[in-house]
Amino acid sequence: MEALYLAALLVGIGCMLLLDHRFRLFFWHDAAIASLITALGTALFLVWDVAGIALGIFLRGDSPVATGIVLAPELPLEEPVFLIFLVLCTMVIYTGAVRLLSPRASTKELVDQP
Amino acid sequence: MTYPTLALVGAVIALAAGLVAWGLAAARRTPALADTGASRRHWIAVALTVLVLFVLTAIFDNVMISLGLFHYAPELVSGVSIGVAPLEDFAYPLAAALLLPALWALLSRGGAERQRAFSQLVLSSRPVSWINTAFPFGAAYLLTTREIDWVLVLGFLYFLIPYNLAMYGINDVFDYASDLANPRKGGMEGALLAPRLHRVTLWVAALTNIPFLVLLAVAGGPATWLALAVSVFAVIAYSAKGLRFKERPFLDSITSSTHFVSPAVVGLTLAGAEFTLPLVLILAAFFLWGMAAHAFGAIQDIGPDRLGGIHSVATVIGARATVRLALVLWLLAGVAMLFTPWPGPLAAIIVVPYLLNCAAWWNVTDETSGRTNVAWRRFIWLNFLSGALATLILITEWTPA
Repeated sequence: MEALYLAALLVGIGCMLLLDHRFRLFFWHDAAIASLITALGTALFLVWDVAGIALGIFLRGDSPVATGIVLAPELPLEEPVFLIFLVLCTMVIYTGAVRLLSPRASTKELVDQP
Repeated sequence: MTYPTLALVGAVIALAAGLVAWGLAAARRTPALADTGASRRHWIAVALTVLVLFVLTAIFDNVMISLGLFHYAPELVSGVSIGVAPLEDFAYPLAAALLLPALWALLSRGGAERQRAFSQLVLSSRPVSWINTAFPFGAAYLLTTREIDWVLVLGFLYFLIPYNLAMYGINDVFDYASDLANPRKGGMEGALLAPRLHRVTLWVAALTNIPFLVLLAVAGGPATWLALAVSVFAVIAYSAKGLRFKERPFLDSITSSTHFVSPAVVGLTLAGAEFTLPLVLILAAFFLWGMAAHAFGAIQDIGPDRLGGIHSVATVIGARATVRLALVLWLLAGVAMLFTPWPGPLAAIIVVPYLLNCAAWWNVTDETSGRTNVAWRRFIWLNFLSGALATLILITEWTPA
């Protein structure tokens, strides 16, 4: 049970990457910039988290579905994984929406876009 | 500062940065915003992203808070909430949608050629060897502190990817020149990295290394700074023009071994380990092992290296002497382990397969040196076995805090 949240996040990340792969949206469209955005986005959100923790706003719970491993006071191991998921989710939704809105979007191109 | 203020600051920064990125992208007519209607589509897609993320946040933030994963200091939140999710939490997806797609519109290019360049850049860092530098760091740190924390994650990530991007990237860039000067070596062994990628390789190495180095330096004290400095120097000096330690006999083996031992030393200094005699013996054994591995690996290249006018420990003292030197170094590594506390002496067994693999070439000549490539391939597989054995011994040693 302790690994449930972490496992759910990893499955979520896996699903986002499957969508990405299937429709060549993010990493499968420009892997270099996708890596950059993922690293930068995760790092910025971590700074935000750390600011919230330093201000005493965010408090870690004692959940039965969390590993209980903390990277720093009030910062669980799962948090950076969640932030990576948030970035991937955002980018898959955005690039997917652009693709759907694109006038050239046909069933074939949804799949075959380089 | 309260949560509403923090959330507002975050969202405003993301909005401002996102607008700047979008403005630049629109002005430059980047591939993402090149055709008519692209800007309109961008903003509709951003709005849709905000909408979808808000719905997901409303659902899953409630789930996560209900499961007790996290909570908030009650006096610092606005009190406005959707279910149990504070309204301020929606600043995260809002900021993500305002900033990240704008950066994507500014920077992304797409296209097969760009994807190929990226794969070439990643492959040049030898992903199969990434673990060889991350493992010594992680093991050294974890066995000292006995707990996972951000320094462990940061250091492990650093020695897993950026460190290897720098080490092999610099190597491939500077070897390209010497490989070009040596027509026999141009095709097969060198020339991995296309010249048009040289500049970007060095930039990627610098930009991925510096933030990690700064954070690790902040996490540690003077001992860590010294260890990091030695580590970075060894990475650069091995192949960079002017220093080229890889072409200086004996210094080549020492520098190569430093590449693998220094991550462990950085880990130990960050963890605040005390450098007792047993610990120094283990590090010395690892260092001797690394020197032996490098010297042995140089033997197979004696032929091409001499033709190319490249010096190495093996070209200078010859194949037979190098085999025997490697045997002595591996033997010393094993002997050093015998003097460490239990279960350290068990690790002495690890050198036996290496000794056997190398001893078969006791009478090798410079002419037959090329054939040691067979043993070198075996050596690479032996490393996986040793890694597994070393891990088992470390687990035996492990007693959780």
